[in-house]
This record gives sequence, structure tokens and C-alpha cells, in this order.
Amino acid sequence: MEIKAIGCEPLQLKRMHIENGHTLDVYRQTGGYESLKKAMNMTSDQIIDEVKASALRGRGGAGFPTGMKWSFVPRDSPKPKYIVCNADESEPGTFKDRYLLERDPHALIEGMLIGAFALGVETCYIYYRGEYKYLIEIMDRAIEEARQANLVGKNILGSDFNCEFYTHTGAGAYICGEETALLSSLEGFRGHPRMKPPFPAVEGLYACPTVVNNVETLTSVPQIIEMGGKEWQELGTEKSGGTKLWSVSGHVKKPGVYELPMGYHDMEKFILEDCGGMLRDDKKLKACIPGGSSVYAMRADQIIGKNVTLDYEGLVEAGSMVGSGGFIVIDETVDMVDSTKNLTEFYKHESCGWCTPCREGTDWLVKIFDRIWAGGGRPEDAQLILDLCDNIEGKSFCPLGDAAAWAIQGAVKRFPEDFKKHLLQNGNGAGTSGS
Amino acid sequence: MAEELIKVTIDGQEFEVEKGRPLIDVINEKGFGVPSFCYYADLELQASCRMCLVRIEKMPKLQASCVIRCTDGMEVTTKSEEIEKAQRAMGEFLLANHPLDCPVCDRGGECELQEVIFDWGDVEERFDEPKNAHPEKFLSPIVANDQQRCILCKRCTRVCHEWMGEDAIEAGNRGSNTVIGTYGGWLNCSQCGNCIEVCPTGTLLDGVYRHETRPWELDQTITTCTYCSDGCQLSVGSRADEVHRIVARDRYVNGINGEFLCIKGRFAHGFVNHGDRIKTPLIRYKKGGKLIPSTWDDAIAFAAERIKESKKAGVVATSRLTNETVHTLKRFADECRDGTSYAVSDTYDLAPFFENLSAPLCTHKEIRFAETIVVIGGDVDEEQPLTAKQIRQAVRNGGANLILVNDTPSRLSHQASQFIHVNPGTVEAFVLALADPSAADMAAAKMGIGRAEIDKARETANATKGDLIIMFGKELGAEAQAVAANLPSRHENRNVKLHPLAGYCNSVGASDMMPGRKPVADVVAGSDALLIAGSLSDEEFAAADLASKPFVAVQELFLTDTAAAADVVFPAASFAESDGTYTNNDGFVQRVRRAIDPVHQAKPDWMITSLLASELGADFGYSFSASAVFRSIAESHEAYEGLRYPDLKDETRPVRVKHKLVSGADVSGAVASLRDRVSQFPDAADKITEEPRVGHKLHRVTTMTGKTPQFHLLANGNPKPDDLLVSPLFQFNPDGSPKKEEESEVAAG
Repeated sequence: MEIKAIGCEPLQLKRMHIENGHTLDVYRQTGGYESLKKAMNMTSDQIIDEVKASALRGRGGAGFPTGMKWSFVPRDSPKPKYIVCNADESEPGTFKDRYLLERDPHALIEGMLIGAFALGVETCYIYYRGEYKYLIEIMDRAIEEARQANLVGKNILGSDFNCEFYTHTGAGAYICGEETALLSSLEGFRGHPRMKPPFPAVEGLYACPTVVNNVETLTSVPQIIEMGGKEWQELGTEKSGGTKLWSVSGHVKKPGVYELPMGYHDMEKFILEDCGGMLRDDKKLKACIPGGSSVYAMRADQIIGKNVTLDYEGLVEAGSMVGSGGFIVIDETVDMVDSTKNLTEFYKHESCGWCTPCREGTDWLVKIFDRIWAGGGRPEDAQLILDLCDNIEGKSFCPLGDAAAWAIQGAVKRFPEDFKKHLLQNGNGAGTSGS
Repeated sequence: MAEELIKVTIDGQEFEVEKGRPLIDVINEKGFGVPSFCYYADLELQASCRMCLVRIEKMPKLQASCVIRCTDGMEVTTKSEEIEKAQRAMGEFLLANHPLDCPVCDRGGECELQEVIFDWGDVEERFDEPKNAHPEKFLSPIVANDQQRCILCKRCTRVCHEWMGEDAIEAGNRGSNTVIGTYGGWLNCSQCGNCIEVCPTGTLLDGVYRHETRPWELDQTITTCTYCSDGCQLSVGSRADEVHRIVARDRYVNGINGEFLCIKGRFAHGFVNHGDRIKTPLIRYKKGGKLIPSTWDDAIAFAAERIKESKKAGVVATSRLTNETVHTLKRFADECRDGTSYAVSDTYDLAPFFENLSAPLCTHKEIRFAETIVVIGGDVDEEQPLTAKQIRQAVRNGGANLILVNDTPSRLSHQASQFIHVNPGTVEAFVLALADPSAADMAAAKMGIGRAEIDKARETANATKGDLIIMFGKELGAEAQAVAANLPSRHENRNVKLHPLAGYCNSVGASDMMPGRKPVADVVAGSDALLIAGSLSDEEFAAADLASKPFVAVQELFLTDTAAAADVVFPAASFAESDGTYTNNDGFVQRVRRAIDPVHQAKPDWMITSLLASELGADFGYSFSASAVFRSIAESHEAYEGLRYPDLKDETRPVRVKHKLVSGADVSGAVASLRDRVSQFPDAADKITEEPRVGHKLHRVTTMTGKTPQFHLLANGNPKPDDLLVSPLFQFNPDGSPKKEEESEVAAG
């Protein structure tokens, strides 16, 4: 398990290897809470302008510019305002937030405090995925430490700024990573997504203005304030500022969490050199899913020799997306029908059931994959799968349906040979390879 | 409220519409038509079925038109290849796990899913995987759930939450395993059945009607409910002179209640064709003898003879009778024998209210859009369920202020912006406090509340610019009613409206039809020959000692205590067998229509009375036509002047009778005597803190509801059976005790 920065100073990963990095003392010794003090001498607009200048984009997957999201909050609203940290990290292949929450909780608290100060927020929530329950104690302890040090609670650092923190866990639903479903769940309802508009920035938690940000997004904020937005942006590219964490898993020698500057060159080098190369030297790279399971899988020939840069624009150009940075490397031993079947089952299991296309579509797709896997594949199945994906994509209530469709479409379109193998050996059951 | 008009283009045609209207409504109204399942006007938006997808220029994806509000210059396409593919795809998805057992489904023929698919006509089924199968289960004695037919539009959970405030059903599980279920696996709610009504498919099923007939075999007769004073419009489904089911009406074309009905209106129709109905006229020839079946001619002649012989006759009507019947009874009293007294049996007499009425009655629609609603006494949830639903929606969807004055907490009190919890039996003091501020302190002390509570309510009422609606229940005595009816004339807000929480389906009409009536006890005591249409209440019956009367004739459906004590019993037709009108608590006079022929030898009540009258030599000018009776009503009652049955044809546009308004009446006498009465209330009392269970009045077994077997189980604690696949009727005795094994096998076999 590697946790390191390549091509830049470790910023997010600064305290990963420091003993007791999760404690307030160590956090302060390493420059912690200085950004908060700096921010508290700035105006709201100055803070938001710095975040805008940093070109920080949401690290949860959608990549929405954070500064812009913050600026949507009506600061003159008489209602209370909230910042909710989305720590419902459940995109398959993504595990970066876990390390931040475990080893650097104060960075998140500081990031949220800066946001709260800028937006006039007095209550912050950190929504953990149910499976991260074991990490909550670390955060609760950190919040308590911060409270003792007058960093959380009333009159923070002697000012008239008050801010309270609460942690909360989901009950194990992927959909609660979607911001509106997260808010429903936080309010105590079933974790169903809500209609947008109104967007959470206007009507979010308890119908009050709410900013929902990913963990990594918020832990970037102290660095931005410390360095200055422009300087932070220049670590990366013009439109993708700063550094980004990548959760590398799959068939590489050194899986782990890597911090790369945005625009890192190039993807091939990253897989084959930085991550130690393919797990088994005699097996070739077959595919890579760079942004968590919901993005299009890339074929090796879209990566090798293609100078793919690792940033929002570079990956879109190369035919995929940054997503959450869940970087899954797949070698030639993998049958893409098998891996896609697995993902389809995931989406079916996690579909919340609210809307027709996602609920029924994923159920149907799983049944098709089951049949194919049992040897009942038919030549027309590929077309049927693509058509069903098309019927889900863009018609579902929330992006979960789109994500499911993309993952499956990507596999069917880009790895037709794997599907052919199953679909043309119709009926005799001979198509099953062990999995 | 006049909304700004804007221009919207739909499929190339430009329309002027009100800004902010739901696009789906505009599309359907203008005749373009998009299918939808989850959209339901006035319920919270859902946008989950994804059927109503349309293309809107400048928007990236197809949009669900139910959540789009019209904005100026919007360009909408409702028909294109892309849209049809998307809509058909949703249909295909919905059918994927749908069992397609339409030939054995109770909804087959009136299923919305079926209709949408049939409208396309050429849907190819590509889904040939195994379907997710589940057994059909009972959720209560009255609601069954075939979950595999469910398309998860969640109309049911929304009406349960928003209309009923009960939250009895909710979705459970996730994804394609989502099911509509209950908490604890058994429905302990008021069993209104609105979830069944709004269900677009055969998922939620009417446990009374289940597997009785196919919908297209039923004759549908639009009529008015015979239970409470709300006067819901309903459709009686009958086949071959048998009533099989009752539903509300269509989702869009409907009466005052839309698709809303309560448990009684929807399910308690078993009495109509029940075997206990009186089949022929009965005569007791000698006191102490038995009631012996007879012919109509003999019974009429016998009764007429006895009435002629009597010294003083009396007539008692009940407020479940049609206007036609009560009017005929009044004429009977007036025209057959001099000095005949008459009365109406009801929970309370509305005369003092109507004599002092200073503002119009409010309609149910006005309740829904009111700004402030003050409910003094009553038990709206249990006794006027439609009114309760309108109040709830006004509060929930319209942000209305609800001031509830009651001695008992109820479901509605959780939603009240101000629940004034008074000492038992002291709600009248609140009327006094409103009418006479100088008595407010005394009234507050008697009610066991702070003076501030009264002031706060008064402030809310004074700040109200829109409709301010005052409702009151049977707790108000004559003086308090008179004062309440006069309240609007003391208030500067001109939008004050009144709503009496009357007891029965025709309480208001009966009150209109019989001016100058006396209390029931006086009529009974002062007469030696009585004609009673319907039955006396238990208290009235106990006090009346009918057996000691020289002669009593009763018109009834069943051999009730009153009928059993009579000397002549005439079999009367039920509401489903007669034509007529009821006047509800909105003041709407609505039609009751004959759905089936009278059972056995029954005749409509008004006809029985007029037959008896003609035997006594009085000619009312009508003998076989309810519409002629109604004309006679229109000629003799000012409020009904000029009305004819053709005016009452359309239940979507109910006609209001013109109750006379008295402004500036002097009610100081009533206020003074109310003050005296209130001052005699005890100073201290324990408040009732326990909230009665849901359905404590709705589930009560009465002469009528008791004929539907499910009511006995509900009244006896609604026990949850071990086996949810079998009707509880096979598993429990009417008293709620489990049936012995052999018995249930026999019954089930």
C-alpha cells in the first residue's frame, strides 16, 4: 500500500506518514489552523475569490467548481445555512477520503471552518458512509480536541464566529453519496434523491441553503488559503487547479493513494512506472477505469502512447472522466463480461428504486448478464444491453442511472471481443469460464 | 389571485398560460397528452415514473414535464421519435417485472398502466427473463396488496401522508426489491382505502370487492354518500341489482371530494343487499303480539286507520333521509291531521345556527385554500373525514394557520399551529371568549388555559387577510351555536365563513326541510300515534318507551330496536335504491341516484309517507316521481327556490342552496345565557391527554356498517393473522378471536 505524492510536494498527504498526525498537537506543529486564522482576517468575498482563483473542482466525482458552488449560497438569507461534508465515499475503486478521515481529520475541520466562516454557517455536518463507522470516533475526538482549543463551538478564537460540528453515518447506501439523497438521509428520511432545482445551495438541508462538498475538496481549502488561490491553481492546469488524490487498485504492483498535480503526464507512465507496473510481469494491460466504476473504461490502446494527461480535460479527451479518482487497473486475464456483470450487480443492488429506468433497467440488465454467464448469451444481447443503457441514460431521476449506463455501455462498446465470445456460443453452456 | 400570463409553445402552437403552472397540466389541458403515473395534482411531486418526458428547448436532456413550471417563451415538444422511444422504454421497464395477469386482476379494464400500453398498441415485449414474483398479501381485513403489480408511483404513500396524516404505508427495501408495505406488517390505520383508489394498477386491492366482478360488468351510478355530512360524491358499482363496490370518481373529473373517500363511504355498503333487510311490510295486529308479514295495501290501510283513530299524531324524521322524504314527512304532518307535531332526530339541532347565520357556509374547496381555520370542538378526523383532509392539505400544502380547540388530542392536533387543549366539556367557553372579550379571563380559567392562548388565536384571526373559516362541532349548545353563527358579523374580515360539523349526510337538508320542528322527546311524549322514518338514537329510544304508545309506524331498512317496537313496519329503500337529494355541510344540494331497484318489497321513504298520506285523504300531487317531490321542495322552501333536478346533473359543479343571512342580529341574550352557563363549569378538571386510537368512531359497528363483516374485526382490535395470504375473515371470528382450526378449514375450503 503506497501513500505518496508524485510530481509535487505532498499537500493532501502531508500528514499521512507522521506519527499521531490525527491529533491537534501534531496538526498544529505542522502548520495546522494557521489558514483558519488567516481566513478569519479576510472577508467572505476574499475567501470565495481565493477558492474561485484556485480552480478547485469538486473531488467527489462531478467536478463542479467549488468557488462557484459557494458563491451560489444566498448569504443574506435569513435562514440558517449549513455545510455538509460528503464522506459517503462509496464509488467502487475509491478510498482516498478514508485516509484523510483517518489520519488528518483536523484538515477537514479546518477546511469546513473556513467555508463556514466565509458563508456565515454555524452548523456543519460530516456524513460518513455506514461502513466508515469505525472512523467516526477519530473525527469525534478531533472535534472535541478542537472544541477544547476554542476552534469549534462559540466565539471561535475569541471572535464572534460560532460553528458547531456533528458527525452522522448513513446506513450503507451508495445513493446517499448523491448530495440530495445524502440530505434526505441526514434529515432522517429514506435516502432518496430530491428534485433539482432547487439546488442545495438554495434549498438543501431542512430547506435551508446548504453546501455539500467532498472530503478532499474541503481538505484542499486550508492549502488554498495558505498558498493563495492562484499559486495553488498553478500546481495544476488552468481549468483543473491544484493536486488530486488517486485511489489506485487492481493489477499493479503498488496500489495505493497517490497525490498527483492536475495535468500529470502521462497516464501510461503513471500505471507502468509510478505504480510499479503490472502486477504480473507477463500480463499486459487490458483496461483502466480511471475515475471510479461509473466512468467509461479505457482500453489499453487508448492509454499506451497516447499522452493522456491526468486532469479533467485530458481524460475527457481520452474518452473517460476524472470522476472520483478511483483508478482501477485491469490486466488481460480479466473477462470484461465478468467485471461488468459484477458492476451491474452493484448498481442493481444500490439503485434506490425511486425512478423507473434505474430500478427496472438495472434489474433487467443483471438478469441478462446472469443468463449470459450461465451460457445463455444470444447475439442480439449486445444490442439489447446498449439499448437498455440508452433508455436509462438521461432519463433517470438522478445520476445513478447514468453512472450504471456508462459503466456498462463503456464495456460493451470498447470490449466487443469479450462479449462476442459469450454471445456467439449460444445455448450450449460452454461459454462459462471460471470466475 | 390573478397570475401573470406568459406564452408557451407546445408542438409549434403558442398558448397563453398562467406563469408557473405545471407544464404537464398545460400539455394535457391543451389536448396534447403525455402519459404519467406518479404525477397527481396537489400531491407532492415525485417525478419518478419518468413517463411524462418531453423535450424543452435549451435544456440538455428530456425533462419530466410534471416538475417543470411554465416560463415565458418555453418551447416544448411532446411528440418526436426520441420522446416516443423514451416513453415506450419506460412502459417497457414498468412491464418488465409486472406480472401481466390482467385477466385475473381486479383492475383489469380500468388500469392506468394497461391503458397507456394499449394506447400505443404495438408494444413488443423484449423482456423474457424470469420475473420477480411475490405472493398477494393482506395488509388488513380491507386492503390487499399484490406487490408484483406495483409500479412504485407512490401515490398511495403520498395520499396516506398528505391526505390522511397517517403514514401507515411506506416503501420498504430498495431498488427493484422495493415494496409498498406497512410498519409491523399490518395496517393499523383508519382504513380509508384511498391508497386503493389512487393506485393506478391492481397492486392495492379493495378487500370487500376483491374478485367479485370485472369492472366493466358494473353499472356505475354517481350518487352522494349516505354517511357523514361532507357529502362525498361516489360511484356505486352494481350488477344485477346487487351493489358490489363503491369508489370515488375519476382522477380529474370528480365532485367535491376528488378521489377521496373514507372507510365508511368506500367499504360499508354491505348493508344494501344484506339478508337482514326487511323484506315485506310487517303488522303487529295486537299489542304484545308478533310482527307478521303483510302486504303493502294492508299495512298502509292498517296504519292509516290507527292514525285516524289517534288523538294526536307525531312525525319523527331522521337526518339520514333525503330532502324529499323529510319534506314529505313535513307535509304529512301539516296536511293530514291538524296539530301533528314533528321532529328530526340528529346528533344536534342546527336551528339556532341557521337562524343567526351571518356569513355563508364555506365549501370544501375554500377550506383547502383558507388562510386560517378555527375548529371548535368536534372530531373531524373521525366524523367528517373529507373536511379533515381539506384542513390537513390547507395546513400542509397551503401553509394555513390551524387553531384547534378541543378537549381531546387528535391526529389533527399534531398539525395545528395552535392546539388549545381545554378542560373536558368546556369548548363552548371558547365561543364565549371570542364573542365577549370581557368574559375571556373567566372563560380561559374554565377551559384551564392561559388568557394568552385566546389572545394569540384572536391575533391570528385578526391578521388573516384571506379566508377565515370557523368550524364547530356538536359540543356547542343552542346559545353557543347562535353566538358562533353571529361571530362573522362582529369581525372586520369580510372573508369569514362558517362550517358546521353536522352529524349526518342530510343534517343540513333535514334542518332546512322541517322548520318549526320540536325536540324528538316532546313529539314522542305528546303523541299517541307516531310515524318514524328511520330509527331513534339509543338515548332517544330509551327515553321514548315506544311499547307504551298506542300506535307506532316505522319506515326502516332493518329491524332495529325502534322498528321492533313498532306496530307497523314499512320496508324502506336504501340510498342506493332511491332517487333524491342530500344537502351537505357546504350547503350543496346533491343528487342521490337509484343504482339498483329496491330490494324485496322496499319502497323509497318519501313514497311510503305519501302513500300513507293519500290513504288519509291528503294529495301531495306526487306519488311516483322524486323529481316532482323536489319541485314541491323548490316551491315551498325559499333556500331551494327555483331548483330542479336538471340543475343538479353535474356533480363537478354542485349547486348551493341559498341560506338566508342575518346580519347584525342581536345575540346579546344568547351571549348572556352562554356566560351564565360557562360560569357554572367546574373550575378545575383533569385534561384528557390520551389520544383515542385512529378509527375509534369510524370503525364503530352500527346498524349499517355492521353489515360489512370487516368492520367487526376492525372494531375488535384489528387482530393481525398468522397467515397474511388468507383473508382475516377466514381466520378470525367477528369478535376478533381466532377461529378454531377445523372451522377455518371448512370456511376456507
